[in-house]
Amino acid sequence: MEKQALQGPVSFLSYFLMVALAVVLSGFWVPPTTALASPDQSYDTLRHWIEHARPETELTPGQHLTLKDRAVLESYIPQTAWEYYFYDGMDMEITETGTYPPPEGWGQNVPSGYQLDEQGVLTGFKGGGFPFPDISEDDSKAAQKVIWNMLWRPGAEDYVMPMVAWSRSPNGQLDRQFEFTAVASRYAQGDHCLVPGYEEVKTKQLMEFRSPRDMAGAKMLTKTYVDHYKEDDGWMYMPAQRKPRRTLASERTSEVMGMDFIMEDFIGFGGKVYEHNWSYLGKRRVIATMNVETNPEAGGPHLWVPKDARWEVRGAHVLLIDPKSDSHPYSHKIIFVDTETFWTLWMFGFDRQDDHLLRMNQHFLKYSEGFAHETATQAPYMKLDYANNVGQGIFYHLGETDINAKKPHATYMHCYVMTRHFSSGRAKQFYSVRNMVSGRR
Amino acid sequence: MRLRICFATYALFLGLAVLPVPSWGIINVTDDIELEGFVKTQNILRTPMFQDAELIMQRNTAQLEGKYYFLRESQAFGRFGTGPLEEATLTLIGRGVYDSIYDIRHTYSEAFGKDERLNRQFEYKLREAFVDLVLPPFTLRLGRQQVVWGETDNFRALDVINPLDLRWHANWEPWEDIRIPLWMARAIYDIGKVGPLEESFVEAVWIPWDFQPNKVAADPRRPWPFIGDGLSAVANSAMIEEALLDLDLTVRDGKPSKKFKNGQAGVRFKAIWGGIDFSLNYFYGFSADPGFKFRSGRLEGNTLRAVLETEHPRSHVVGIAANYSEEKYTQSVFRAETTFTTGVPVTIAPGASARIDPDQNQFDTANRSVVMLAIDRPTWIRPLNDIRTFFLSAQFFWRRYLDYSRLYRGIPSVRRAHMDGEAVPGRFISTNSDKIDQNEFVITFSASTSYGPGGLWQPLFVFALDPLSTGAYNKFAMDYLWSNYFVLRFEQNFFWRVSGHDPGPWGIGDLYGRPRDSRHESVFSAIVQF
Repeated sequence: MEKQALQGPVSFLSYFLMVALAVVLSGFWVPPTTALASPDQSYDTLRHWIEHARPETELTPGQHLTLKDRAVLESYIPQTAWEYYFYDGMDMEITETGTYPPPEGWGQNVPSGYQLDEQGVLTGFKGGGFPFPDISEDDSKAAQKVIWNMLWRPGAEDYVMPMVAWSRSPNGQLDRQFEFTAVASRYAQGDHCLVPGYEEVKTKQLMEFRSPRDMAGAKMLTKTYVDHYKEDDGWMYMPAQRKPRRTLASERTSEVMGMDFIMEDFIGFGGKVYEHNWSYLGKRRVIATMNVETNPEAGGPHLWVPKDARWEVRGAHVLLIDPKSDSHPYSHKIIFVDTETFWTLWMFGFDRQDDHLLRMNQHFLKYSEGFAHETATQAPYMKLDYANNVGQGIFYHLGETDINAKKPHATYMHCYVMTRHFSSGRAKQFYSVRNMVSGRR
Repeated sequence: MRLRICFATYALFLGLAVLPVPSWGIINVTDDIELEGFVKTQNILRTPMFQDAELIMQRNTAQLEGKYYFLRESQAFGRFGTGPLEEATLTLIGRGVYDSIYDIRHTYSEAFGKDERLNRQFEYKLREAFVDLVLPPFTLRLGRQQVVWGETDNFRALDVINPLDLRWHANWEPWEDIRIPLWMARAIYDIGKVGPLEESFVEAVWIPWDFQPNKVAADPRRPWPFIGDGLSAVANSAMIEEALLDLDLTVRDGKPSKKFKNGQAGVRFKAIWGGIDFSLNYFYGFSADPGFKFRSGRLEGNTLRAVLETEHPRSHVVGIAANYSEEKYTQSVFRAETTFTTGVPVTIAPGASARIDPDQNQFDTANRSVVMLAIDRPTWIRPLNDIRTFFLSAQFFWRRYLDYSRLYRGIPSVRRAHMDGEAVPGRFISTNSDKIDQNEFVITFSASTSYGPGGLWQPLFVFALDPLSTGAYNKFAMDYLWSNYFVLRFEQNFFWRVSGHDPGPWGIGDLYGRPRDSRHESVFSAIVQF
């Protein structure tokens, strides 16, 4: 009797439930992924630009270029990116092309005996310098050699890096803002290993989120190996589970954490060399945010690209990367790698379905010695002593933009980087699974 | 008074949540103090057979978490050198709850006396309070905390150190929120690489006095009572030799007292061998589930006065957990866990022989083993999502009574008393015909991904099936991340069964899916987080 009274018919509630369910299910609808596919953004167009566009006007240091200078800039900015980088109010300050000496002793303690195998995989290399400091355009393995230099470049690790990432829809609508910190160390340092006994390890990285709240405290430990054929290892700690969980490293093509990049696009290329076919497309001159004063603010109509930043004309190796797998989301990927420092400047990944741009990224870099006379921005939640950076002779990754052209959507990121060298004992403790069994809660 | 405290707490939390601070996440009060937390309102509509809807919960939760970094880089409070002690932090996690269902629905407000109602309406707890000390290679966490071991998700094998509070929504909430934190010390000594082992460490936990049992709501007036395969009523009668008697039942709490002799402790060794991440575990504690010993039964006139005493037997849990990431052929992470547990309390059917029940108290302890196998796989299902993988996770959980008796009984239930084949109005008796199976199984599967350009729509699908009882559970959930601060959540829980009447051991569906007790429910939540 009481039960009946409790459960009397409430028809509007049933209706409400159905409506709510419909709203929820509507979230599964994904708009067609052909939005904003511009003819300028096809793979063929970029190949044509690489082969034919040659700067006719030299850029001069101190020059400020705006939208009216577009014709000049078109031969310096890869055509695929024009749609985002040319806009009303743009202002690119050109600075002198610098030369950036590597760290002291770089390349002097590289043990010999390494080589590229038939798949283009570097074997027997243990760091200490670039494996291939001289790149010949005629070399059939030039592309692989460039990428190995990129993967072993100085400054790729040995830092503490708090970051802020803004995930934005068109017109600058902010969807989410992420805060997270990465700490990384290179173990393989040429003639010695950071932690004796761990000679098989190339790098270890620990990354922890602090915002938004639903991700705060999530942390990831990643371990990469000197043997490129050995797959990375990873663990993730989620506060809601209060225990670490082993992660799969070989899936690198899914967008992560609601952001617009995939692990394989990390600094242009973060995958496995043997999973791709490689071609060297020559050298090109491009402009790049190579030695910015500080983290560039976001600009453009969507707040997807750097605004009022300092740009430099750089020589770049152009590499074509074709995934071997038919299920890979890209048909082709083209990256521009700086010829002096081997940092990636631009990356373009083309959709396997239509050979148009799917994702691109562009990186903001700063040379260590600039920290001596330019005030760098502090992270909003952590104070860094940038004096540690001076004298290192390396580049720091101050951020990047990752644009998904098909959604369309972008993640704009600021990185606040400080060199941090771990002692052997501290590294052993810090980068350990032991450190993953508990977290901030 | 409580209401005022509640409103004050809410005002504080909402104030913190909308503070114009530069961070969208953790709030830095000073360089050394951080605050985070959330305010959540959770509304549950029970929708039996989708013909009616009944609001059964309107739970409002405010959680505040603080962290104080009082020792960094071997300096305490920025002044005192601490030598090898490199870092130390204090963490406090407090939770306040107000369930307004006990105010807004007469069904609940009138069912309880004032004190009873207040106890169910409000909860204020300093859930966790611990200090972390880092003296490499040694770390120590002291205080009230949660410790989770093992590879199993949402079933108990090695994850037995903290008991669970199942009173307000059974185990359908995240376990982080329903584990009962205990006062304990947790120490880890990092070994690192030794011989063929990598990443090895030894961990020890010691719970000096703080034993707490799993908490279950048996009161049928509550929204989520655990009433077994019976009526939502209290047994008030007993049937002895065809006579219907009044029942006066006393249950004595026999849980271990807060003394050092009732301490609990465990140790585990964890390492990686040949890519296999494994741990060897041992925990010496008490069973968090109570057993019931029949102490006495006395007939006074037409009343049976019975005394039961709860018992939490000492328990040894020995187990191995392991995982392996197979990257080449299956691109999957395999997880496994196996345990051997002693001291599992069981009920023996009344009238068992002295061989089975020598004390004739309808109580015994059993040994039990668990084998769990699981697989996790990020998987492309491109017709459904062409930019992000689905995270698929499947788990097979097998529990076996090693010294099994056919007289072991599970969950008692309440039924109408019958005399001469007719139900007697207002008279209910307790029976236990739930025969425990020697082998118990459950299979679970979950899938999750995210949709939308920013991944703001996050669906989750869960399926659990007990193949023996055929009871099953499904969840369809969707989170919409409106902003960094605001999350909307909708969940639909289905409880159902394929056939039969066996309630099964897990309570994953069959208990709650029957027409007379269908607990299908729709859950609407809004969360403000910072």
